[in-house]
Amino acid sequence: MAKRELQEINAGSMADIAFLLLIFFLVTTTMDKDTAFIRSIPKKVVVKDPVPVEERNILSIKANNQNQLMVRGEIFNDPNKISEFILKFYQTNELQNDPTNNFPMYSTATAGMIEGQLASFDKQIEDAENIGAPKEMIEFFENSLREWEKKKTSLRLLGGSELREIAGQAHVRIEVQQATEYSIFAKIQTEIEEALYEMRNDRSMKLWGIPYGVLKRKVALEKDKARDEKAKLDLLEILYPARIIEVTPKK
Amino acid sequence: MSKFKKDGARAVPGVNTSSLPDIVFMLLFFFMVATTSKEVDPTVNVDSPEGSRATDLTPYKQRSEVDFLYLGKPRNPARAVEFKMGFALSLDNVVQPTADGLYNTNAVKQWKKDKFDQKPPRMTAPIESVITCVKADKSAPSGLIFDIRKELQEINALTIAYAVRDNGMN
Repeated sequence: MAKRELQEINAGSMADIAFLLLIFFLVTTTMDKDTAFIRSIPKKVVVKDPVPVEERNILSIKANNQNQLMVRGEIFNDPNKISEFILKFYQTNELQNDPTNNFPMYSTATAGMIEGQLASFDKQIEDAENIGAPKEMIEFFENSLREWEKKKTSLRLLGGSELREIAGQAHVRIEVQQATEYSIFAKIQTEIEEALYEMRNDRSMKLWGIPYGVLKRKVALEKDKARDEKAKLDLLEILYPARIIEVTPKK
Repeated sequence: MSKFKKDGARAVPGVNTSSLPDIVFMLLFFFMVATTSKEVDPTVNVDSPEGSRATDLTPYKQRSEVDFLYLGKPRNPARAVEFKMGFALSLDNVVQPTADGLYNTNAVKQWKKDKFDQKPPRMTAPIESVITCVKADKSAPSGLIFDIRKELQEINALTIAYAVRDNGMN
């Protein structure tokens, strides 16, 4: 039998196959990222007597059915100015408390005080475990303990002898009505996020010369490996906490 | 007279296309890497409002820690009249019809529970931290968003995300 020459495989249709795949991927995927404001919903609890909150600690941002905005009783025509107001809310008393204005007070925690709190919560957890207290109670103490531990590391990171914190009750409150457009709600969320970013970024640049966004990205990507960055983020979050209450509109 | 003489009609040589597959494959790999797979095409029209400094959900998506629900006007205009205010909720591509002309809010609860039960076993996050991302239309009334929020609160799915289109101002 005569030897036949090996025939080459015809690769002419390879391009067609590749094109087909390419088009499939083009159609089934998206380029744009999904971005959103992540918020937590409070647990459902029944409260008989809510704790009264001082007026100075509330920054209420309201929007009505006609999409008009009101911040602390003042009508705002330019929604872009809300973030400036939020900055004022956080920073007016940051360096020195002035009881005459209507903004939240700052409290000062020293290293000794933090140690005292840590010890007291340690003891409370022990006691609660000994008497067989409910699980929720122990969890609550443990959370408090963790928070004070964060403060301890934050103070060490910050240097100096004291940690100045905004009042625990201070919060931003979003009150919309049933028919307020979602775009207005999203705009308010944007303004809050802008204000927080600006404050945290300023502080981060001043302390370590690193933009806040870089810290955040690093922690998000490396998770547990970026220990130092996590501590820095914690500090910034203690200094400028994001406390937002979204009030359910009445029917 | 001229030195260069045309010697008749010459055939144009064919373009060598042997590297065409390589080029196309390169394009293919680029798109495979640079894009993420689309969530189901919703049956409602959603035009997200703009916002800035929002969180990118890609890492959560990769860990399948996010469920999307859509709130908008139905694609099919004939169906829009069935809904009060013209807005409907789309859960996994099923437009939710209801008695009260809005949508069945109970469906949100059931949907989220089912979604959570169907998660792959490698996903260990508790239901409190599994994000529910609400993709709402610009003009959707906020009251509806709070209705969804209330449903989620009742089943302890305590993380919500309000979707916006990042306007890249950061």
